[in-house]
Amino acid sequence: MANGKNQKYYDKPIRILIAKPGIDGHDRGVYVLARAFRDAGMEVIYPGLLPTPESIIETAIDEDVDVIAISLLNGAHMAVFTKVMNLLKEKKANGIAVVGGGIIPDEDKSKLEKMGVTGNYGPGTSLNIIIEHIKKRAYGAREEKWGKSKKTK
Amino acid sequence: MGKEQKNEIGRVISGIKKGDRQSISRAITIAESAPEMFASLIKPLYNPKKEARVIGIVGPPGCGKSSLIAMIAPKLTAMGNKLGVIAIDASSPFTGGSFLGNRIRMQDSLSNNKIFMRSMASRGAKGGLAAAVMNAILVLSSAGYDYIIVEPVGSGQADVDILDIASTIVLVLAPGLGDEIQAAKAGLMEIGNIFVINKVDLPGADKAERDIRYFISTGPAEKRQQNIVKTSTVSREGIDELAQAIIEHEKSVDKNEFIKYRFYMETLRIATEIFSEHIDHLKKERPKWLETSLSEATDPYSAAEKIIKRIESDEKL
Ligand code: B12
Ligand SMILES: Nc1nc2c(ncn2[C@@H]2O[C@H](COP(=O)(O)OP(=O)(O)OP(=O)(O)O)[C@@H](O)[C@H]2O)c(=O)[nH]1
Ligand SMILES: [Mg+2]
Repeated sequence: MANGKNQKYYDKPIRILIAKPGIDGHDRGVYVLARAFRDAGMEVIYPGLLPTPESIIETAIDEDVDVIAISLLNGAHMAVFTKVMNLLKEKKANGIAVVGGGIIPDEDKSKLEKMGVTGNYGPGTSLNIIIEHIKKRAYGAREEKWGKSKKTK
Repeated sequence: MGKEQKNEIGRVISGIKKGDRQSISRAITIAESAPEMFASLIKPLYNPKKEARVIGIVGPPGCGKSSLIAMIAPKLTAMGNKLGVIAIDASSPFTGGSFLGNRIRMQDSLSNNKIFMRSMASRGAKGGLAAAVMNAILVLSSAGYDYIIVEPVGSGQADVDILDIASTIVLVLAPGLGDEIQAAKAGLMEIGNIFVINKVDLPGADKAERDIRYFISTGPAEKRQQNIVKTSTVSREGIDELAQAIIEHEKSVDKNEFIKYRFYMETLRIATEIFSEHIDHLKKERPKWLETSLSEATDPYSAAEKIIKRIESDEKL
């Protein structure tokens, strides 16, 4: 809303689900991220390893997060991220952005972007860049729910 | 409220009537993050007959509240109840951020049983809950939930806000938390309807039990007979017994009386909120009429009375 009446809502902490599919045991990165997101003022939902794409989507819906941050280092990202995006559409879940990361070869990044999975940051990315990207996507998700905010207009 | 918000509220209301999961959780987001829209959302949905029973699981950090909920929840749903879980973690007073980790112990159990679960950050609320917990209970009640389990922020202190919302309070303690048990005596121990010693698979359980028995024996007469349930989420000992104790206690509660009490407390909470919003507005805006009243006032009490009259008469503040 252009009148800024819902501005208060945009200023509330971002809710983010850290989704680590259980098929991948590389979980150091998500702990680093969880901490960084919390210190950046976000409400970080960490449910442990999530066994299936279905459980990722169900959890994201119950928690009504602004962003799902999904991490894969084992090479299964194309299959898993695609499944997650399809389920999100199937459930008609609006206002939830998906950001990816882990070991993701450059040639896959544009395909993922096209599906709506953005970011796709790998080892060595500065946490500031990641956090700024998450914020941008979270505000986008809020606009989808509530219309434009004063800030982003 | 703008047009987009009105549309979204309309969508959420009809979604909840149809039992749509995302609408339920979106309504809780509104309670949490856009409370000024919540009244128009809940008014058409509220029905006193649908008020859910609320079970509070309280106790010091790490005593096993979440692990116990993971095991009890499926037992309550197996009895045909529609169940939701709300678990609260503290927000950082410095960054406002929060690590909501209660799901770690509950995820598999709740997900396998399709139980609704919402993690909430305290966002500065004192007393172990979050400001939106009560409104989240109204949402889940309206959506047809029979039971709601609430896990407040882990605390050994007398965070007793849970008393206003839960008709059964389970106090969980565990061996090795000696100091916490000492601290809990001050407040938490008085509010428990059911005492649990969890982690009885660990050494020290007997000592914890003796401590609690001793404490009970010095407490109010009506509580001296109180049962202590011994549980372990590792060996699964005592889990059935605990579920049973919760059901039994709920049977002993006069639900109508309790709902009336909760309604009363809720009404006062809302009135306080509306009132303090008005006051916040005055703090920020310093409207002309107030400046005038102040210059006319003979003392601050008379000036404050004018403000209250103005709020009552619904004149523009
Ligand atoms: C440590 C490690 C392990 C540890 C993991 C311990 C643990 N609990 O995490 C152990 C030894 C168990 C392990 C096992 C395996 N590993 Co290994 N492992 C690594 C290694 C060396 C470092 C990973 C790490 O912890 N980095 C530190 C953390 C902090 O960084 P990070 O995870 O990359 O996360 C950062 C960024 O990537 C980004 N990020 C990550 N996720 C997300 C998500 C979002 C949304 C965003 C925005 C950002 C983001 O932000 C994070 C913080 O900066 C990497 C190589 C490498 N250099 O990455 C290989 C690597 C990931 N492993 C690999 C492999 C193959 C395996 C194994 C299959 C077999 C093996 N060769 O050992 C097993 C399988 C394990 C399993 N069950 O899944 C390969 C994967 C190859 C591929 N994808 O094609 C790698 C790349 C090594 C290689 N070059 O071959 N591994
Ligand atoms: N040995 C043993 N460990 C247990 C038992 N129940 C829980 N735990 C462990 O105790 C730790 C804390 O359990 P939680 O269920 O997260 O406890 P909590 O009270 O919800 O904790 P907070 O939400 O952080 O206050 C975990 O490591 C559990 O695995 C039990 O019966 N026996
Ligand atoms: Mg817990």
